[in-house]
Amino acid sequence: MVAIADKAAKPGSRLQFILDSPAVLGTIFVSPAVLYVLVLVGAPFLLAMYYSVSAYTIYSQSYRFVGLRNFIDVVQDPVFRQTLLNTFIFTFGSQIVGLILGKFGALLLLRPFPGRKVVRALIMLPWAVPVALATVAWEWMFDSLYSVINWTLIALGIITRSDAPNWLGNPHLAMLCVIMVNAWRFFPFAIVIFLAGITSVPQDVIDAATVDGAGFWRRNYQIIVPMIAPIVVVGLIFGIVFTFTDLSIVYLLTNGGPVGATSVLGFEGFQVGIVSGDVAHGAAISLFMLPVLFVLVLVMLRSIRRQEI
Amino acid sequence: MAAGGSRIIHPVTRRRFLTGAGIGLTAAGVVPGLSNPFVARALAQTKTLTIVQWSHFVPAFDKWFDQFAEEWGKKNGISVTVDHIPEQNIAARAAAEASAKAGHDLFMWNGAGGAHLYRKFLVDMTSLVDELEKKYGQVSTIGRQIAYNNDDKTWSAFPDYYINNPGIYRKDLWDEVGMTPDTWDNVRIGGAKLKAKGHPVGCSLGHSNDPSLCWRGVLWSWGAAVQDKEGKRVVLDSKESVEAVKFVTALYKEAMTSDVLSWDDSSNNKYIDSGVGSYIVNPLSAYRTAQQINPKLADNMFFLKCPKGPAGQMVGAASNCYGIWKFAKNKDAATDFLRYYAANWVDAFKASTGYNMPIFKNIVPKPMPVLDNDPTSHPPDKLKITETSDEWCAVAGYPGPAWPATDEIYNNFIINDMMTKAATGTMSAEDAVKWATRECEGIFKKWQQV
Repeated sequence: MVAIADKAAKPGSRLQFILDSPAVLGTIFVSPAVLYVLVLVGAPFLLAMYYSVSAYTIYSQSYRFVGLRNFIDVVQDPVFRQTLLNTFIFTFGSQIVGLILGKFGALLLLRPFPGRKVVRALIMLPWAVPVALATVAWEWMFDSLYSVINWTLIALGIITRSDAPNWLGNPHLAMLCVIMVNAWRFFPFAIVIFLAGITSVPQDVIDAATVDGAGFWRRNYQIIVPMIAPIVVVGLIFGIVFTFTDLSIVYLLTNGGPVGATSVLGFEGFQVGIVSGDVAHGAAISLFMLPVLFVLVLVMLRSIRRQEI
Repeated sequence: MAAGGSRIIHPVTRRRFLTGAGIGLTAAGVVPGLSNPFVARALAQTKTLTIVQWSHFVPAFDKWFDQFAEEWGKKNGISVTVDHIPEQNIAARAAAEASAKAGHDLFMWNGAGGAHLYRKFLVDMTSLVDELEKKYGQVSTIGRQIAYNNDDKTWSAFPDYYINNPGIYRKDLWDEVGMTPDTWDNVRIGGAKLKAKGHPVGCSLGHSNDPSLCWRGVLWSWGAAVQDKEGKRVVLDSKESVEAVKFVTALYKEAMTSDVLSWDDSSNNKYIDSGVGSYIVNPLSAYRTAQQINPKLADNMFFLKCPKGPAGQMVGAASNCYGIWKFAKNKDAATDFLRYYAANWVDAFKASTGYNMPIFKNIVPKPMPVLDNDPTSHPPDKLKITETSDEWCAVAGYPGPAWPATDEIYNNFIINDMMTKAATGTMSAEDAVKWATRECEGIFKKWQQV
C-alpha cells in the first residue's frame, strides 16, 4: 500500500497519466497520418480548387479571382465534352471487364489444383508491375507493324496482313485497348476482393443451399454475390476513383489519340495545365471529376449501408 | 543463455516504449543539427552546377556532353551534374522546378515552347546572346522564334539548336517508279505507285512531334498558317488551308495506310528501317539507326529538302534551348558553361553526328563537318542537302513568333487532328479547318487575356 502511494506521488506522473489515456495516445499516433493527408492531399487540393477559379498560368502567376469563367470555357469546348465521355467509357468499361475477370479468376483459384499457390502469386503480377513497364509491353503488342497479336492471328490463318486491325489507330479499337489494359491491371485486385469475400461466406449457408437444390449459378448469384456485395462495392469504389483520375495508360499508350478518341480528363488536365502552362484551365478540367466521384461514392456507400441493414 | 544463466526479460510497456522512442527521436533530431554546420561548410567549399536535359536521340551525344561538362567542371573547380530525362517528362519537370523554385541551374527545353512560357522565371540572357552573336554570327529566324521576346527585345534562353526534318526516301524504290519525292505532288503520285508494290509513304497522323512538324510544313507550303506574322490573329480559316487539308486527305488515301493513325515519334523510323516504308519526313536519326541495324538498307536511303508545295517549301523543326532559372544557385557558372559550350559547338555538332543544327550563323562553318563529308555514308556527301535546312525549317508559330498560345495548339495536336479528321473522312476538309480554327481561336483568346 505504502509503495503504491509512493509511486503515485512521483513527479511526472501527470504526463504519464495523459499518455495512459487511450484517447490522447490514439490522437498522438494518428496525428502523423492526419498531418500527412492535410499537407500532401488537403493543401494541394485546396490550391487546385483556387487555381480553377483564378487566372493563374505559368506565364503570368496571377491569383485574380475569375469565378466560374474557366469552367464555362472548358464546358463550351467540344474536345472537353468528348474527353468527359471518354472518361466515363474508360472508367466503367474497364471496371466491368475487371470485375468479370476478377469473379471468374477468384472462382478458379478457389478450387484446389496443383501449383495453385504459384498461380495465385503470378496472377498478382499485372497489379505489381510498374504501369510504365506494363504499358510499354502492351504498346508493342498493339504496334501497327510488329503487333504480336496480329502476328499470331495471321499465323493461325484467321486474318491476312491487309485485314489486320490497327489496334491503336482505330478510335473504337484504341478505346477498347486502353480499357483492356486497365482491366488487365485491375483484375488481380478484383480477384483478391472476391476471394476475401467468397471465403468469408459461411460454408453451412452454401451447403444448405446445395441441399435445397441450388445449382452453381443460383448459389453464386443469389447467395454468394449478395452476401459479398458490400466488400465488392468497396473494391469497386477504389477501382472507379483510381481509374477516373488516372492518366498513365492513356499517356503512355495513345497520347490521347487517335483524334482525341482516348483522351481522358486526367490526360487533358495534364496537357493543358502542365505541358501548356494554363494551370487555371487545367485545374478546372481536373476538378470536373470531383462532383462526379463524390456523388458516385456517396450512392455506392449508401447502397452498402442499406444492404448491411 | 545457452550456459543456463538466467536473464530477466522486461516486458515492453507502453511507457517504456514511449520513453525509448522519445530518446531515439530526440537523438535523430539533434545529431544532424550538431553535424550540419560542418556539412554545410564542406558543401559551400564545393561549387556545383546542375543541368537537366532530354535523353538525346543520338546516345553518343549524351556521352560526349557528360564528359565535356565534367572536364569543364574539373578545370573550374566546379562539380557538374547532368541529368538526362525522357523528352516527355520535360514539361512536368519544368513545372515542378518552377513551382518549387528549386531544381537545376540550367534547364533545357526540347520540342516546342519553354523559353516563352517560363520567361518570368528565367534569367535574362540578352547580354550572353549578344556577345555570342558578335563571335559566331547572327541568330537565325528559328533561333529568334525559339527564345527571343519581341515585346521587350530580350532573350529568355540560350537558343542551342533545332532539329530539322528532311525528306528521307528509299532511292532504290523510287528509281523503280522513275520518280523523286521532291514535291508533295510527287510524294503522293510516286507514293501511290509504291504503295501498290507494298512500300507506302509513312507520314504519321498520330499524336506526337513528327506529325505536328510535318503537317505544319504542308500548311506553310500551301501558303497557309495558324497565325499571322505578328502573332495577334488566327488565320487558319483560309482557302489555302482547305487545299492543304485536301492534299493530305489524298496523300493518306492514295499513298499511305491506316498504320500512320497510331504512330508515335519512333514509328516512322521503324517503318523505313524495317524495309516497308518508302518515304518519311524525319530527322536523320532514322538513317543512323538503319546504318547500325541494316547497312545495306541505309545505303539506299537518301535525303532531300522537305517537299515543295504550290506556295513554298517549308517544314516544322523542333527547338532546343537552355534557360537559367532565376532561383538557380549558381547562375554565373551556368552562364560561363554556356559560353564555353558555344566555343566548342563544332565538337558538339560532330558528337551529334549532324543531328543538332546550328542557330548562330557561323558557329559551324560551311561546308559543315559530318554533313558535307560523312565517311560512314555512301556516298559521303549524302547528308549535304541538310546543311541548308535553316532556309526551309521553322518552328511552330511561323510566320509569327512562337508563344504560349502556339505552343498549346502544338501540345494539343490540333493541326494533326484537323488533318486526320479530314483524311479519315470524319469531317470534310472545310469543316476540319473550321473546327481547328475554333479550337485555335479559343486558345488565342485565353492567352491574349493573360
